[in-house]
Amino acid sequence: MFHALYTAASGMTAQQINLDNIANNLANASTSGFQARRVQFSDLLYQNEVMPGAAATQQTTVSSGLQVGLGTRPGNTEIIQTQGDLSSTGNPLDFAIEGTGFFQVMMPNNQIGYTRSGSFQPNAQGQLVTANGNTLQPTITIPPNATSITVGSDGTVSATLPGQTNASQVGALQLATFANPGGLNSVGNNIYLATTASGDPVVGIPGGADGLGQIQQGMLEQANVNIVDEFVNMILAQRSYESNSRVVKAADEMLQGLNQLAQ
Amino acid sequence: MDSGYYAACTALISRTQALDTIANNLANASTVGYRAQHNVFSSVLATAGSSSDSPVNSAINSFGVLSGTTLDESQGALQKTDNNLDVAIQGGGFFAVQTANGPMYTRNGGFQLSSKGQLITGAGDPVMGQGGPITLPRGDVSISSNGTISSNGAVVGRLKLVQFKPGTELSSAGEGYYSAPAQTEIADTDSAVKQGMLESSNVNPVSAMVELITAQRTAEMMQKALTMYNSEMDKTATQELPKIS
Repeated sequence: MFHALYTAASGMTAQQINLDNIANNLANASTSGFQARRVQFSDLLYQNEVMPGAAATQQTTVSSGLQVGLGTRPGNTEIIQTQGDLSSTGNPLDFAIEGTGFFQVMMPNNQIGYTRSGSFQPNAQGQLVTANGNTLQPTITIPPNATSITVGSDGTVSATLPGQTNASQVGALQLATFANPGGLNSVGNNIYLATTASGDPVVGIPGGADGLGQIQQGMLEQANVNIVDEFVNMILAQRSYESNSRVVKAADEMLQGLNQLAQ
Repeated sequence: MDSGYYAACTALISRTQALDTIANNLANASTVGYRAQHNVFSSVLATAGSSSDSPVNSAINSFGVLSGTTLDESQGALQKTDNNLDVAIQGGGFFAVQTANGPMYTRNGGFQLSSKGQLITGAGDPVMGQGGPITLPRGDVSISSNGTISSNGAVVGRLKLVQFKPGTELSSAGEGYYSAPAQTEIADTDSAVKQGMLESSNVNPVSAMVELITAQRTAEMMQKALTMYNSEMDKTATQELPKIS
């Protein structure tokens, strides 16, 4: 039977996954610290009916082979590493990372998760936690009677207590980075987990020369989703889906014609 | 039987094969760095070499077959991604990649880093520099137009760009890879590398659609021709002629 039917079906499946990914990027356009993903496609194997460069006669070789490709597949969804816009919130416990680092949080299963969403609140013990209650690592405890909290670009957290004129240091933020942040595993709730593809985390003090980035207090990083790009990709995905379905129709009509020959 | 019957049959088979190539082009319209394939039809003389090779005989025995597919070498459109590790080639060059199946070449510059900091393709194979695989330290990466990679201002390597001797036929290997016969690669000094861009597939949707329609309609014509042989001429020969006498 025609490969064309299966080839076109592979194109339609790939575009469906592409659209799923675009939908997720757009749905998270307002999620702070969200990093968009991008689907990369690759072509499938080829059927070599005539190998390029095969001998045509003893003296000559064929000028071009006859290779028929068998379609496409989504190869991977890579995390886009560009910096999201920083928006000012005025909340002293909102931190944005200007750089490539991640905050480390302790998950309920005692695993370390990584996030770029820097919206923290103190819990009942005064420790800084994410909206889901995961504790920021290393733990930072804010004194309950603190009148103001200041976070330096190097992550030093200091609190001013009533009756004191000088702020005293209550902790220091640390950031983690990876050799290949594109290989992190997204598990939802803005959390990434380290994988063998991402490599082991390298933890350091923000603001240094190793590219971890600086902390901006009172800011949140917006999702790095580019709405215009996503819309353009959506149109391309839709039209590509249509042209593949047109191939299915053409193959179907040719087969139909063949069947009518026998009548 | 009539040679035209087989000529139409051969053409019909070649059009169904052509449809497979067109379907593959359209399925890969979103594959970064994909090169479209074009069908090459040629005529095969069924009676070649035989003594009865008169002009009339060769005209009716020249069957059209799909003899080959060629790669479209035209430049695909560059799309901006702003990703530091995305590079597009402007020109005819290819990136060299070391795979388990030997050296391969690709136009897909959507590179990533491995957990050891090595520059790899989307399929996970190391991208070759002038002196072997390239390992990048952490930090800002910038890639100049001649492929020189620097990280935090220090040069860490240079992408190996290759072209091929004239007449070299590349063979598609899937995953956006192409393979070439040994000793045909030559250093490419003409192509320019653009950081933060990717080269879209060079499939032209308009010409792919036209090819699709042409293949479909030609197939219909051949089916019509086969029907004519089948129902009109043979029927006349086997059923009508005996009644005339």
